[in-house]
Amino acid sequence: MKDILILGIETSCDETAAAIVKNGRHILSNVINSQISIHQQFGGVVPEVASRKHIENIAGVVDMAFKEAGLEYSDIDAVAVANAPGLVGALLVGVSFAKGFAYAIDKPLIAVNHLQGHIYANFLEHENISFPAICLVVSGGHTSLLYMKSRGDLKLIGETRDDAAGEAFDKVARFLGLGYPGGPAIQKAAQNGLAGRYKLPRVFMDRNNYEFSFSGLKTAAMNLWRKSEKQGDANISDLAAEFQEALVEVLVDKTVRAGLEYKVNTLLMAGGVAANQKLRNMLKKRAEETGLQLYFPALQLCTDNAAMIAGDAHYYYINEQFAPLTLNAHPGLWSL
Amino acid sequence: MHICIGSDEDMQQLGRQIARVLEKGDVLYISGELGAGKTTLARGIARGLGFTGRVSSPTFTLMNLYPGTPEIYHFDLYRLQVGELDDLGWEEYLEGNGVSLVEWPLVAESIFPGEALLIHIDLVEEDYDRERKVFISAGGKRYMQKLEELNEIVNTGH
Repeated sequence: MKDILILGIETSCDETAAAIVKNGRHILSNVINSQISIHQQFGGVVPEVASRKHIENIAGVVDMAFKEAGLEYSDIDAVAVANAPGLVGALLVGVSFAKGFAYAIDKPLIAVNHLQGHIYANFLEHENISFPAICLVVSGGHTSLLYMKSRGDLKLIGETRDDAAGEAFDKVARFLGLGYPGGPAIQKAAQNGLAGRYKLPRVFMDRNNYEFSFSGLKTAAMNLWRKSEKQGDANISDLAAEFQEALVEVLVDKTVRAGLEYKVNTLLMAGGVAANQKLRNMLKKRAEETGLQLYFPALQLCTDNAAMIAGDAHYYYINEQFAPLTLNAHPGLWSL
Repeated sequence: MHICIGSDEDMQQLGRQIARVLEKGDVLYISGELGAGKTTLARGIARGLGFTGRVSSPTFTLMNLYPGTPEIYHFDLYRLQVGELDDLGWEEYLEGNGVSLVEWPLVAESIFPGEALLIHIDLVEEDYDRERKVFISAGGKRYMQKLEELNEIVNTGH
């Protein structure tokens, strides 16, 4: 059978990314131009700045993806792009570029949901993932548990009612002056600290459902910090460690419980917060104890990238699910 | 007017009461520090306008749109600098067919409409465990009237 080569493009937030993936499995190139250093000074992504940077970067990033893969434009079979969800101005840069590019080389266009791409990052690396599975999607905009009956069949079983996990990390990091992005910043601070010296609540909401709430934990952490500052015994590493532990414990508990109750064999994790070491270790341990098979993407595939977009697109290609050149970006399509 | 709020539930209840005086085209500015309860209040308002889904501060997207009656545009301007407002496309929302809730409005002070309901939430003695003080004032005649209606609703409980 002839190899299928797909170019993926991803510009939903602060990374301009392009990748070429063969047969939905083999990453031939994976180029990411991050704007994090630019957004650091703002303490978060600024949409207009992000859009402008995407425009400056996209052509070079795509060219680099071809160069690294050692391919010509005409070698690829389709152009895939993340068109939802994200910042509309940022998404539009990728969508517009992909449309123009697909038209110019006369190849089909494929639209991929960015979040679904995150989930399928698992499939780039792992063969024979067995279904049904429970998938935890944790990022700056999301904290969702999904029941996956098969590769394309996803059902949302619970999500956060307020802040996403990554958002809680960002806000608490900002409050503590630890910088952006908050997840890595807190993880780093926590390395020198001990969880348990401060006591933060584990917010389970109802133990019988799969809903999350991190807004209360965020406020509790900030309050505790203020009080201990007043008392003069503030230790930022200890607070970071306790905050991380409190958040991760709830994520792990609900994910494992969903796995057991839905009687699946497999747990999947996806999204930027899936790069958190504490979360990876704790979930791994609990999965082993309960006999569930756990998969998560390699660190560089947890954060935004285009290989996951090109990988996911492979299955659209096989099923001939192509997008028209009138394709638009959808910022608000947060659900799958 | 100013109101003392003792819990999350009370904050949402206040939001539902505020929602009763709102209509298409209304603008609300909600200020207060991180963790003060701005989003909780916004959630109450959204509930009062008939939206039952997830309400969270749009830190990532800058604006969330909720299909309430009328539509709700929930802004979070925390990270923005003055010059960056231009490209947000806010005019079509703030001057449009829904209710706009704007968190961290300071950066937009001289740019967004001055006629609005202004809500400020204060912590008491910087303590997150304690009650909140909510100050509500009006900019412009139309909102003065709304403020009076709201005062009536809050005082009588219905």
